[in-house]
Amino acid sequence: MFLARIDGTVVAASRHATLQGCRFLVAQRLEADGSTGAEPLVVIDWLGAALNSTVLVSTDGDIARQRFGNTTPGRLVVVGIVDPIQTTGGAA
Amino acid sequence: MRLAIVRGSVTLSPAVPELLGLTLVVLEPVTMDNLRAKNGLGGGKSLIAVDALGAAKGQMVAFTEGSEAANPFWPKRVPIDAYCTLIVDTITTSSQPLAKEESEVQQ
Repeated sequence: MFLARIDGTVVAASRHATLQGCRFLVAQRLEADGSTGAEPLVVIDWLGAALNSTVLVSTDGDIARQRFGNTTPGRLVVVGIVDPIQTTGGAA
Repeated sequence: MRLAIVRGSVTLSPAVPELLGLTLVVLEPVTMDNLRAKNGLGGGKSLIAVDALGAAKGQMVAFTEGSEAANPFWPKRVPIDAYCTLIVDTITTSSQPLAKEESEVQQ
């Protein structure tokens, strides 16, 4: 699993039959050193991740198979949305 | 899934029986910079994937990698590790890269 920032949306009429009605988002992997992955990733989301939110992405296709059946090629799934960082006012 | 542009196709003869009848395409993965620039370039290391959607040369697809790529053929076992899952119609991305401060906020 890794953290990623939601960066956009994908519209695709032609898709694997098991993934009809599925929401696809463009995500950018976040690295520990503050850099981001060089290549964008298309992830499946049913939690309702917003643009620019940080999400946890799982690379295990099991959850997609449970939801979409054994023949689904779905693999990268948003399994959680990271709580926004909140800072208290004060030393600005 | 990563994004890629279809650059061509591959035919095999002979091939293992599991691959007979499958369409193989040459994909060039798209980098974030090229996606934002909308310049039609890929930039990644090319690879071969199975395509059942009929993607044309020049179209952008998203492809699944790993053992999940063989799932559409379940319960048949096929020796593939990349599969075109969708053909991109439109894609929207925020045109600016992540702000440096923003991506480093948790350090």
